[in-house]
Amino acid sequence: MIRIAAVGDVHLAPDASGHLRPALEELGDCSDVLLLAGDLTKHGTVEEAEVVAREFGGLDVPVVAVLGNHDHHSDQGEELSTVLGEAGITVLEGDGIVLDVNGRRVGIAGVKGFGGGFAGKCASAFGEQEMKAFINHTAEVSDQLGKALEELDADVRVALTHYSPVKETLRGEPLEIYPFLGSYLLAEAIDKARADIAFHGHAHAGTEHGMTAGGVRVRNVAQPVIRSAYKVYCLEPAELEQAAS
Amino acid sequence: MTTDQEPPQYAVARLRRALAEDPRTAEQGVRVDLRGEQVYLSGDVASEERKRTLDQVVHDIAANLKVHNDVRVVEAKAPVGQEELR
Repeated sequence: MIRIAAVGDVHLAPDASGHLRPALEELGDCSDVLLLAGDLTKHGTVEEAEVVAREFGGLDVPVVAVLGNHDHHSDQGEELSTVLGEAGITVLEGDGIVLDVNGRRVGIAGVKGFGGGFAGKCASAFGEQEMKAFINHTAEVSDQLGKALEELDADVRVALTHYSPVKETLRGEPLEIYPFLGSYLLAEAIDKARADIAFHGHAHAGTEHGMTAGGVRVRNVAQPVIRSAYKVYCLEPAELEQAAS
Repeated sequence: MTTDQEPPQYAVARLRRALAEDPRTAEQGVRVDLRGEQVYLSGDVASEERKRTLDQVVHDIAANLKVHNDVRVVEAKAPVGQEELR
């Protein structure tokens, strides 16, 4: 049994310091790893990252994160990753990590992701430079996610993003903003690499459960969606292998 | 400031953008509904203080509107139970 705790969109800043910590102290009793699905801060400042580091640092399980759009608002993404790294939090951006969980190798590949929309109703890299830059960024980070997933030498492979790979977990959000909430290119990468499960945040008014076209379970763990400090998902590698075959 | 001449759709759009772009709030997930001179806010934020700040930002832009703040403060407790994926 592999127990994955996950939450996204905690939007921490000094005014919310310490809100989550009481619920996290005993995390090791119910989970083996904690995933943070981006938007860890409100404005993406180093001061806010220090709040995140205090909130999630020194827990009794490994903590693996990706950044979200809020974490890039002050153009200090690298500085945020450094602050979190110093607190023992692994920040993924187009790369992966393999953890030993009770003798099983759990691989996690992460990327922020980006928007663009979903299959058949998505934007194209055509026209103005701004439009091409938008979609090329999504294509680039999706490609990074796919490669990072494929490179994981693990029993279970987990995709972690901030933006959504599927529209199913956006139900509840206005249809008009779907292209700003995620991209099918992320799902395509997840399916191609045959990941076992995918976690994302970003869509506060969305829905927890979804699935890619290829049958990979997707969970929207934005805190307003799961309505708790985190949620725990239990995987059995043997049963996942059976399902894949 | 909203004016009598401004269609409500533009007023709502302006308020939503302000709640997202004003550094005091930076909230993208707050919904704004306008009915006459009553504005209703809904969604989730991380603290009571952030909920109160929404009122201030709306008031700065549209002091003539009465604000009904139905925004919820998101739960920060440990979850009950877990999901087993089989």
